[in-house]
Amino acid sequence: MKYLGLVLANLRRNKLRTVLTGGAIMLAVVLVCLLLTMPAGLDALLNNIANNTRISVHNKGGVVYTMPYSFTRKVRQVDGVLAATATMWFGGAFEEDGRVSFPNFAVEAEYVGAVYPDYNIPAEQLADFQRYRDGAIVGRQTMHKYNWKIGDRITLRSTVWPVNLDLRIVGEMPSDRSPLLWLNWTYLDESLKAHGYRGLGIANVIWVRARDPNRVNAIMRTIDDLSRNSDAETACETEKSYFANFFGSLQGFLTIVLIVTALVALCIVFIAANTASMGVRERARELAVLKAIGFGRRVIFGTLLAEAIALSTVAGSSGVMLAIGLTRVLKASTGWNPALGPLGSFMVTAPVIVQGLFLSLFVGMLAGVVPSFGAARKPVVQTLHEVF
Amino acid sequence: MDSNPSRTDAPLIVIRNVSRRYVRGIDDVHALENVSLALHANRFIAFMGPSGSGKSTLLNLVSGIDRPNQGDVLVAGQRLNDLTEDELARWRARHVGLIFQFFNLIPVLSARDNVALPLLLTHLDKAERLRRAETALRIVGLEHRLDHFPRALSGGEQQRVAIARAIVTDPVIVADEPTGDLDARNAEDILALLRQLKHDFGKTVVMVTHDPRALRFVDEAYHLDKGLLLEGEEAARAEAAIMMAAGGGVAAAGARLGR
Amino acid sequence: MLPVSYSVRNVVARPGRSLMSASVIALVVIACSLFLGLIASLKRTVSSSGDPMNLVVMRKGSENDGASWLPLAAFQAIRFFDGIARDAADQPLASPELVVQPFFHTHAGGRENVLVRGVEPVALAVHNIVKITEGRMFTPSTHEAVVGRGVVGRYVGTTLGSDLAFGHGTWKVVGILDADGSSFESEVWIDVRELAYDARRPSPYSGARLRAASAADLEPLMRRIDADPRYALHAQRETEYYAKQSESADSLYILVIGIAVLAGIGAGFGASNTMYAAVQARTAEIGTLRALGFSRAAILTAFELEALALSAVGFAIGAASAVGLSRLIGYLLGGIAFGAATSTTNVIMLKVTTSDLLGALVLALAIGICGGLAPAWRAAHLRPIDALHKA
Repeated sequence: MKYLGLVLANLRRNKLRTVLTGGAIMLAVVLVCLLLTMPAGLDALLNNIANNTRISVHNKGGVVYTMPYSFTRKVRQVDGVLAATATMWFGGAFEEDGRVSFPNFAVEAEYVGAVYPDYNIPAEQLADFQRYRDGAIVGRQTMHKYNWKIGDRITLRSTVWPVNLDLRIVGEMPSDRSPLLWLNWTYLDESLKAHGYRGLGIANVIWVRARDPNRVNAIMRTIDDLSRNSDAETACETEKSYFANFFGSLQGFLTIVLIVTALVALCIVFIAANTASMGVRERARELAVLKAIGFGRRVIFGTLLAEAIALSTVAGSSGVMLAIGLTRVLKASTGWNPALGPLGSFMVTAPVIVQGLFLSLFVGMLAGVVPSFGAARKPVVQTLHEVF
Repeated sequence: MDSNPSRTDAPLIVIRNVSRRYVRGIDDVHALENVSLALHANRFIAFMGPSGSGKSTLLNLVSGIDRPNQGDVLVAGQRLNDLTEDELARWRARHVGLIFQFFNLIPVLSARDNVALPLLLTHLDKAERLRRAETALRIVGLEHRLDHFPRALSGGEQQRVAIARAIVTDPVIVADEPTGDLDARNAEDILALLRQLKHDFGKTVVMVTHDPRALRFVDEAYHLDKGLLLEGEEAARAEAAIMMAAGGGVAAAGARLGR
Repeated sequence: MLPVSYSVRNVVARPGRSLMSASVIALVVIACSLFLGLIASLKRTVSSSGDPMNLVVMRKGSENDGASWLPLAAFQAIRFFDGIARDAADQPLASPELVVQPFFHTHAGGRENVLVRGVEPVALAVHNIVKITEGRMFTPSTHEAVVGRGVVGRYVGTTLGSDLAFGHGTWKVVGILDADGSSFESEVWIDVRELAYDARRPSPYSGARLRAASAADLEPLMRRIDADPRYALHAQRETEYYAKQSESADSLYILVIGIAVLAGIGAGFGASNTMYAAVQARTAEIGTLRALGFSRAAILTAFELEALALSAVGFAIGAASAVGLSRLIGYLLGGIAFGAATSTTNVIMLKVTTSDLLGALVLALAIGICGGLAPAWRAAHLRPIDALHKA
């Protein structure tokens, strides 16, 4: 630590170079962090949001195929099932936008709270959702996007059902990552009947909450057995598997993102290494003198390496902080992106921060090692010869 | 000062009451104090003196690389103070040929391209430029080294390339310590070459040097000390001191005076 | 006024350092090219799916024909509207369609939503761009299917002659369709009634595609369909429809531009750094040039040219690598799937084309010019007297 002063003084020697290199490293780290938020967003969704006691029940042929609504009752009676709700894609377009800009479903108001306790919706709001037929519960991300407040009335025009629904917002899912909108099953059912249709007799996905995570596999098997040979054979899977599959095809895109990230990281190493070796070259004379005086190889190697590390970690940390700031701005202006889905959430999560910092440290070490090693190792006499 | 007494033409270079001061770090340096002198064409002239005497500064003023704080420098009738920075650059290209102690060749250009460099600032076409460059190189005896790069040339050869570059636009030749980085044999060759240029081609050569051998080759030597131009007795004393220090002794002094 | 060879030779004279700087630019060029290529490939796939003579008819407010529905009576009515082209047998070129996205399973065990389009044989006449290049079109009511070029081999049972199982049934693949790289190549076509039955749809059609008799008929046809009070329908040109589909990809362009700017600035700093060191090392040389009479503009230009030469080298390396890398990705990964967050998987082959490289070139040159500007400025404004180390 007593050499810290020396290290800092050396960095101050050529301020322009330090600033330029630091700036380059900082920007590259910002970029890497932003890129890493994409796979991180997906991971966050899969790990945090996906609950290990929830099961999705859907038609084996696909989510776009349906099951009879009556099946939900049978599912609820399966041993080990705590609660279950039928859900149906409403596909509502919000008037102003004219297109579906957030996912919206019809759900069973009496059961949905028990299936999703981890959404932390306040009990009074769930009660209101049951009390008011036209109630809606909305995720915070969408609430912010349109500046809605509890009590607002909105109209959704369905792109798949022949009805438009007027809704009253009665509750909020207090998570920034949630763009969802829930409306009442019975409301949609009655509206369809009012227009002369048969009512809401089908469901897209039945979401089930198991009492005990160890019983999940058994429950899934039982439900699938129940539906076998019926008109709507089901394929159950855990919530995590459901989302993993849903976004599985993004794998190709993510691969490209990771390749680009690696390229940028490599860039940084080059830039930092270049600077380190430039610095060493210029100071050949001084280093020779230091060695002649008696500073050992390890000390010299250590201080040179410390310089590279100090610069890259400071620059990298600034980059991480800048990335956090930038994503706040990005989040405020974007929302649920249909092309990217969870990849577009631009959340700098803890793993991203750690990865960013680790990268900076690693870059410093990698970039500094070779020139430092070379400089430290050169015999004093040779260096003096070259210089004087 | 021995000089051809029948000099009737006007001086080529006039330095009039010139002073140059600048700040270096915390020092206030008075490089030149009220120096005046007149130099004629077709002469081989030396500015001599100890380090810090201002001889290099004086040379820089003559070649247009620097401007005086006070006074005027006129070269071939042109008052250098009248020119802007860019005009001065263009003037230098046409009227001054520079030779430096460390040769200052462009490492990535061949000998021929280095010599042709000043001609890029003229309107000559490529063929003509290369022809003149080759001619210049022939004059300095390097016609067999046209395509060599500086790193493949010896010290003496590099300086000769520099000289070739200096003469290619037919200007006043200004040399700053041209023999400073050369060994004895090469140094003498260079001095002889410069003298030959003056003698055979009618060039004017102004040189800064602290090389005592120079006194054997130049027509006139001006001595400076601490920014002042030495005259008369002081000048003669300075000259003698130089020759003594060089170990040339009285014989060398005699050889000089006998010209 | 200094020869170009001066700048070029200086770049070549220090191959190690030049290569280092050029590599930084090359890496940025690769990153930029790959992303531009990705988005361009996506847009190309989607936008080339639009025929200027075709109309897409869906329920009012629907965004895509997978999330729409068209009552049978509505179709029966509009297919006889004036302005719709007719075939040799005087039947209107109106193709009723049903779009469903069932699960298909990849060989790797993954699961993707694939667009299955239920059509009648008239669909081939309406969608001019679609051609059955291997095998033949399916025969209605025989549980046969034709499969798009991009789908073949990606999922289990999609090769010619195999049995393809999805939804509740199985279809025999009797043909492969090509559609000039458009999104139809990511689809599977079967008989519309079979699909409606399989998907338990009460109403068999989700939308319709109409072919106009002439360009002049498009507008009046669109207006008439939109204005019809019986059904809430919306007709739009197929070209516009697909253009809107690709709009979600437009937001990705912002991502690319963001990456390019950040990476560019970073690389610019790096390039500046190297150039500053070069200027410092060549101070005497610069002083000499100034002393010889070369103007400040000449020196500035010479150094900027050096920076540009480095950019050019960096671009060359990066462009070649980007193209190679895209081929490698295509070979290893196959197509890149997009649109998972919506319900359809578009399989696109990543291709880096000249226009993508052009974008990367602009970036590389910008890095060179801007990164080199400050050091070149400094070089140009060195006073000869300082540069020549004169006292």
